Amino acid sequence: MDKTLSPKLRRQENISGYLFLLPSLVFFLAFVVYPMVMCIWTSFTDANMNSNTADHFIFLDNYIELWKDPVFLKALVNTLIIVFVSVPIVCIFSLWVASVIHKMKEGPLSFFRIVFYLPVVTGSVAVTVVWKWMYNNYYGIFNYVLKSTGVIDKNINWLGDSKFALWCIIIILLTTSVGQPIVLYVSALSNVDHSLVEASQVDGATNTQVFWRICWPQIMPTTLYILVITTINSFQCFALIQLLTSGGPNYATETVMYYIYYTAFKLYRFGYGNAMGVILAIFIAILSAVQFRLAKEK
Amino acid sequence: MKKIISLLLALCLVVSMASVVMAADAPEGASEITLWTYPIGNWGNEATVKELTDAFTAETGIAVKVEYLTYADGDDKVNTAITAKQAPDLIMEGPERLVSNWGANGYMVDIADLFEEEDKAEINPAALAACFAPDGAAYEYPLVMTAHCMAINYNAFVEAGADQYIDKETHTWTSEQFLAAVNALYETFGDPIGAIYCNGQGGDQGTRALVNNLCGGSFTNPEHTAYTWDDEKNIQALKILYDLNGIDYDASIVGGDEIANFYNGIFKMAFCWNIAQQLNPNSADTGAGLTLNGDEIVFMAFPSEDGVAKLQGGIWGFGIFDNGDAGKIEAAKTFIKYMCDSEHTADAVRASNFFAVRGTTEGIDISGIWSDNEIMNEYTKLMPMLGDYYQVTTNWAAARTAWWNMLQQVGAGDGSEEAIAAAVADFCAQANGQ
Repeated sequence: MDKTLSPKLRRQENISGYLFLLPSLVFFLAFVVYPMVMCIWTSFTDANMNSNTADHFIFLDNYIELWKDPVFLKALVNTLIIVFVSVPIVCIFSLWVASVIHKMKEGPLSFFRIVFYLPVVTGSVAVTVVWKWMYNNYYGIFNYVLKSTGVIDKNINWLGDSKFALWCIIIILLTTSVGQPIVLYVSALSNVDHSLVEASQVDGATNTQVFWRICWPQIMPTTLYILVITTINSFQCFALIQLLTSGGPNYATETVMYYIYYTAFKLYRFGYGNAMGVILAIFIAILSAVQFRLAKEK
Repeated sequence: MKKIISLLLALCLVVSMASVVMAADAPEGASEITLWTYPIGNWGNEATVKELTDAFTAETGIAVKVEYLTYADGDDKVNTAITAKQAPDLIMEGPERLVSNWGANGYMVDIADLFEEEDKAEINPAALAACFAPDGAAYEYPLVMTAHCMAINYNAFVEAGADQYIDKETHTWTSEQFLAAVNALYETFGDPIGAIYCNGQGGDQGTRALVNNLCGGSFTNPEHTAYTWDDEKNIQALKILYDLNGIDYDASIVGGDEIANFYNGIFKMAFCWNIAQQLNPNSADTGAGLTLNGDEIVFMAFPSEDGVAKLQGGIWGFGIFDNGDAGKIEAAKTFIKYMCDSEHTADAVRASNFFAVRGTTEGIDISGIWSDNEIMNEYTKLMPMLGDYYQVTTNWAAARTAWWNMLQQVGAGDGSEEAIAAAVADFCAQANGQ
């Protein structure tokens, strides 16, 4: 703040500053902080939808039950598979695409940006409907192509077979997740200091050396951001499951997010569902912290 | 000057936010009530419902604001509204939601006072019973009912020579005939003939009725206090269906997908069917009782050992959410009486494409409102086969999900009787809250 201002003007600036902050602060408190506190509190209760009975404080009972619940454990394993498969693929693939296209002329660059970003801006319902059609057991294009090329002789029930269903979900997730990282990486790679690149090339550095020694450190903040965002999105995979498989078949695509929804909104066990939410938040926080730490060490 | 303008802008933001909050809390008079309706026939159609509500408003002066729900996310919307204390005044659905769920959880108004002795005598006993909770409180006033059934592609049946196994006159067949028909169809057309859809969401009544009727199993006990679908007859039926060529347990499709596949000619039979589908099997309006390529659709009772099925019923009516506003509750009651028990009831019933739960109302005979509709008349042959309305059994929401999961597990298993029995026992126990 400008110290040459009179105390009155400074006070006025302070007040207007706080007033500008107030709307977003109110929304933040009402829609982020308050629900978070309520979520943690109700996770220690047996809160449900029955208005005839009061909620009881049951301390850690929900958390203890969680670790004995085979569906939750299955959902947790599925969620971790989604995270550990999709996050590295998204990061590596988007970095590869970005490194290929970022030096292109404006026209082709925009074309590829649009191609990869389109699934991101398309509504998840529309994307899901198209994929559901492609995976269809009876007339889907995948079965049609594989059958007509002789790869399979009987239709595969992609979403109805527990061997394939989770991988089908991961493939869709990948296509909808790479758009934003590609755009970010293109931007980050374009901002790499070219004088350093040229200097290293003059000193005889190979392309690989240039990338890992010059470019990679400079795009590390972007990589970290992409890692964290992709991890969070993968942990929170819900819409695809809800629209395609409802967690089936036989819990093969049950994720923690979907199980939270099912427990809270179908079984009305709000306390139990919130306990799962807290556990999920802890997992995300731990994984994000590890990513930050690793990135810092690098 | 800039500082003053910025201060004013900030104040405007705060004031506008506050006004939004205050506006949301502004009290409304009982001259307007809100109705949320699931897609029950044309009660999901804005133009039809507007006609009905406009007529109601003209007569009573009470405006009705209608919101249309879907079965895919309707429950979530209602539950969210309940927890936010923004529930509608009126809701139109069946007793499994109004009585067993929201009523049992204390969110509905007891409307037992709307049932006069004359009404009780006029309303179908099964529909009447379903609207009352065990403690005697009524959380629903019934308007219409139907029997859920299945459907076959008659042209395909003729082509495969399977038409000999059905009684087209009575719309019935035995389990033995059903199996023979599927085999004949499979020999002619190969896979798929039909599917035990088990992805989840709506249409569960179709798979339940198929399994329960095939060998004479039950779903709940007669008192509606426990789920009994782990009986041997159901296990036997599930095993028969597992072994049957042409019928697969398909965890990738829901009831709606099954109907679409049947309508498109992929399936030769559908288990998720009722009169609404028979009258209008597709959104393209290409004709009642016809598939996309013009094949004749014949509705059928589910196959049973003796050929007399116990069909799953559907009952729909209105309930009132207890929002603590006596004026709105009274207005909502007026609406219910207007739609369900007055000279206007016939119009309300027609809008649903289902059958009235009563033959007369206020001395007016409404039993013949479908006399001019050949399909509806034909469909009445199924109504005497209506079985127990067990959807009011405790823990219904969990039981439905357990049913889907059980079917998925049976379908994914090796088909042995032990594996099927284990899946059935496991999920039936879950349904019973064990």
